[in-house]
Amino acid sequence: MEAAVHTSRLRRVYKRGRRDPVVALDDLTLAVERDEIHGLLGPNGAGKTTLVKILSTVLLPSGGSARVLGHDVVADTGAVRSRVGLVLGGDRGLYDRLSARRNLLFWGALYKLDSRTTRRRADALLERVGLAERADDRVERFSRGMRQRLHLARGLLHEPRVLFLDEPTSGLDPVAAGAFRRLVLDLRAEGRTFLLATHDMDEATALCDRVTLIDGGQMVLTGDTARVGRFLGDRECVDFTHADPAVADALAVLPDVTDVERRDRAAWRVHTAGRDGTRRVLAWLLDRDVLTARRGEPTLEEVYLRTVGDRGMRV
Amino acid sequence: MSTLRVMWQAVLLQLALSRRNPEHALVLLIAPMQTTTMMALTVTAHREDAVASAVLAPGLIGLWVAALDYAGRVVPEDRWAGRFSPMVAAPVPLGPVVAGRVATVVLVGVAAFAESWLVAALGFGRVVTVADPALFAVAVAATCLATIGTATLLSAVLVVSRARDVLQNSLGYPFYILGGILVPVAALPGWLDPLSRVVFLSWSAELLRDAVRGDAGGRLGPVAAILGLGAAAMAAGLWLTRRYVDRSRREGMVEFA
Repeated sequence: MEAAVHTSRLRRVYKRGRRDPVVALDDLTLAVERDEIHGLLGPNGAGKTTLVKILSTVLLPSGGSARVLGHDVVADTGAVRSRVGLVLGGDRGLYDRLSARRNLLFWGALYKLDSRTTRRRADALLERVGLAERADDRVERFSRGMRQRLHLARGLLHEPRVLFLDEPTSGLDPVAAGAFRRLVLDLRAEGRTFLLATHDMDEATALCDRVTLIDGGQMVLTGDTARVGRFLGDRECVDFTHADPAVADALAVLPDVTDVERRDRAAWRVHTAGRDGTRRVLAWLLDRDVLTARRGEPTLEEVYLRTVGDRGMRV
Repeated sequence: MSTLRVMWQAVLLQLALSRRNPEHALVLLIAPMQTTTMMALTVTAHREDAVASAVLAPGLIGLWVAALDYAGRVVPEDRWAGRFSPMVAAPVPLGPVVAGRVATVVLVGVAAFAESWLVAALGFGRVVTVADPALFAVAVAATCLATIGTATLLSAVLVVSRARDVLQNSLGYPFYILGGILVPVAALPGWLDPLSRVVFLSWSAELLRDAVRGDAGGRLGPVAAILGLGAAAMAAGLWLTRRYVDRSRREGMVEFA
């Protein structure tokens, strides 16, 4: 079965008058399997939004190809548009002075739904995203989390099988973000595919089956979220707790240790060079009455930071 | 069929928006003042023959101002509000949405005709009677349709233009003159005649005056000209809107919210 989303050597160049053109996507080849939540990670300007724009047909690629559910985004735009949903983050994108229901009725017409179907689905979706009681309130009175849920309802109105989410929980408080993520997981369980562009590593870790990290329009890595730590090669880590901070200092000078990072009052993470080194460090810790110790792999955030690098405010 | 449904939904959307924010009805405040000015000039000059023109002109100006003002704002407002990208990503083309929204505003502008008539009757004691009401109604309906078509074209032209505000502000008087709204086309220099004939307002103004006087004699040629010019403008507007969307997709001018 063909992947839900497949790009092949996808390229997008932005011309800038007399200045040098910007290469936003540089021969990007990517596959998102069906029923998968796929995270798209990368720093500002990496090309995430450009990719989502091309896949949702609001931007034409400069080269290569992209297919969604087997339909080419350039040659078969209409088929792609009726099969994908676009969910944007942020406060904008809705008719603020109108009610949530009125917004959905209008967007339903844009997806060629008849009035009766739109009304039925709008009611069901407003119920599902927890806005049923506020369905007739103006959107301008909504909190950011409520707007975000309305964005999602809009994206689901035509029952797309593939959804593109661009920073959907940006600016949401943890409770609202958590509720939004649970909704995404429920929707995936119904057989929907998600491509999620995000800066939030916790979100990617919590939601995504696989992640792709891009930078400068090129793929840096792609793989299972749970095993993404392996992209740092032999670099492994051991998490341990010990009452005596001097243990961490002693550990830091061992030849198998690359660095020791304090995570809590009595908790440390020690990075080791390779599997044998991890075994020796664990044995060393056991000899010193360590309270807890377990082998781990670098987190997604660590992989991200070490791969993309510390570029501060630069984009 | 889905295009008509989209236009209808756009009409409903604009009705809801206008209810919340009735700024488009500003034209209904201006029309009585324009009528007052024109009627005062007409009455003091003892030009009873020009009363019909003084009443009809603010109505036509109201239609044009409503169309021109709003046509230039629909797409830019959606862009600024971050709604443009989801609209482009939808399977329905943008043109019918613009046409439907503009249609609502144009229909609000029609009320300027009634206002002008009331101002003339109540303020100046001049009750304008329509000799051929059926033709008058047909002329108003055809003028509205042509205005919607022209406004759709203007919307696309204004969006494509780099000097939208300048263009929008300068498209009033030329059309009042070429449209024979303020003075009949026959009173203008002859070399303007070919130009005014491609402006639907010139046919509308003439037909409305003739319907009031009963001079039209059941001619349907002007109605066909109004509808033909309106349809051509609508077709050009939809085509240009599509071109604009395609260009935006090509050049990367569609921003996410």
